[in-house]
Amino acid sequence: MKNRSSIIKAALLIIGFIVLMTFPLVAPNRYVVHIVNMAGLYILLSLGLNLAMGYCGQINLALGAFWGVGAYTAALLNTRLGVPIWVNLPLGMVLAGIVGALIALPMLKVRSHYLALVTIGLAETINIIIVNETWLTEGPLGISGIKMPNLFGIAIDGDERFYYLVLVCVVIGFLAARQIVSHRIGRSFVAIRDDLVAAKAMGVNTAYYQILANAIAGVYCGAAGVLYAHMNTYISPDIFEFKSALYVLTMTMVGGMGSLAGSLVGGLGLPITQEVLRGIGNWELVGYGIAIMLVVLFFPGGVIGVTRRLQESGGIRLPWAHKAAKPLPMEGPHVP
Amino acid sequence: MFLEIEHLTMQFGGLVAVKDVSMRVQQGEIHGLIGPNGSGKTTIFNVISGYYKPTGGTITYNGKAIAGLPAYQITALGFARTFQNLRLFSSMTVLNNVLVGMGHHAKTGIIQELINPVAVQREEKVFTDKALQLLRLLEVEEFARERATSLPYGSQRRVEIARALATDPKIVLLDEPAAGLNETETERLREILLKIRDAGVTIFLVEHDMKLVMGICDVVSVLDYGKKIAEGDTKTISADPVVIEAYLGKEETL
Repeated sequence: MKNRSSIIKAALLIIGFIVLMTFPLVAPNRYVVHIVNMAGLYILLSLGLNLAMGYCGQINLALGAFWGVGAYTAALLNTRLGVPIWVNLPLGMVLAGIVGALIALPMLKVRSHYLALVTIGLAETINIIIVNETWLTEGPLGISGIKMPNLFGIAIDGDERFYYLVLVCVVIGFLAARQIVSHRIGRSFVAIRDDLVAAKAMGVNTAYYQILANAIAGVYCGAAGVLYAHMNTYISPDIFEFKSALYVLTMTMVGGMGSLAGSLVGGLGLPITQEVLRGIGNWELVGYGIAIMLVVLFFPGGVIGVTRRLQESGGIRLPWAHKAAKPLPMEGPHVP
Repeated sequence: MFLEIEHLTMQFGGLVAVKDVSMRVQQGEIHGLIGPNGSGKTTIFNVISGYYKPTGGTITYNGKAIAGLPAYQITALGFARTFQNLRLFSSMTVLNNVLVGMGHHAKTGIIQELINPVAVQREEKVFTDKALQLLRLLEVEEFARERATSLPYGSQRRVEIARALATDPKIVLLDEPAAGLNETETERLREILLKIRDAGVTIFLVEHDMKLVMGICDVVSVLDYGKKIAEGDTKTISADPVVIEAYLGKEETL
């Protein structure tokens, strides 16, 4: 039985690998590849949010700002000094991580929904700086002419080639996130989310881990920002508004807050949803609002939560699932 | 000289929860802290474990003043506690609950987690073995992979004690560990407490179950309205008229 499930697992991995590697070659057109690349970036954003909010209970709606810090770091360094993406990527991650850590400082003083307010305020501040400090950021005009990367003489130009760069980053990001949540750091995060008082009594340096969680969120969003700037070659402040954080928040909740797989589902789902809802203009925000309410009311834990519950009740059994390796069981964000 | 509480006062606005309390807990003893509801027992625990900064007095541990230190540092010094109303991490397994308590011994951090997963794995294995050992000591090993809050109440209490011991404490503050337990469970708890004491861990015990307190404590301190009204061995305490009055009220003479 166990043997069979491991064979199925290996087969699925190989099929998945082939699909992922050949996708740009078989995709119907370039636009589809572009959408999938965006999905990859959303997965990174969602992973960052999930680590901070799903695991550590730190409601963080400043994602758009972290994303913007990464993107503007890359855009400015590239257009003004010609710095390549390979330098910008770690630099953008570190900078956005520092911003995340700094934002965490006032967050230590408040709990639950006040966290949302604090982070919205800080995110807006950063956005206003981007819009108004035109000497640095070109303001609402945005920055154009960012170069696409070049790897050992091979130009990574066009969405098809950039796809592989995004893929590598997403895979590394996902594995790193899994490594982080499945040991001590992840347990400390969840302990803080479940019961701050008890976590302190167990010797968890809660302030450190709360700052760490938000810094990690910053790092992930920063990476997504750098990739975005170099992929799009043009950035403007509107993409990093609060609305983006709201999209990512919604889709992460739909996918499954507190589960990394939920970020995959949510990240992939977001650009698709955006395409579907494009026709209704600003009404799409209403759609996201309704989605959040439905998830909170009926499907805490999102898509992943639902499949997990079906699995536990014996309804369906996914062929690759086995009980012992199950990560920390989670049920949606739970803020004490 | 182990744990010394000197003239401790804890005031919340106009309410004086603890008033000028002094006591010493000696190494290796089981020290009981009893008193009617609202007499300040849990407040004293909360002050010792770093949730409140006392408004007066000092707490020293092996000569070091600890009052007002952050809770995690107090835990690192060798204090651990359980809670009157269970506070297990509700979305975690029993094993993970205990592993959280071990975290502060860890040598590996975020950097090793990413660049040296083998070292993390090795440390994880050591911790897991130790955690399972503790669960065995508390007789809840069979539940290791269950969600902590799905356990029967008595077992949850024992998991909480295991989690407290996981921090490798010199002294554990147990806040009503027998609350809600039936007689058999309390008897098992008594044996476990003695085992913990014999392993060299000092026990500071808040408890309402007088049979348990009088059965195992070396010294008992009695609080009433935030003040210490008596202290001594169990025999003296159970015969002390002041204590009896605090618990049962004064006899009316008609």
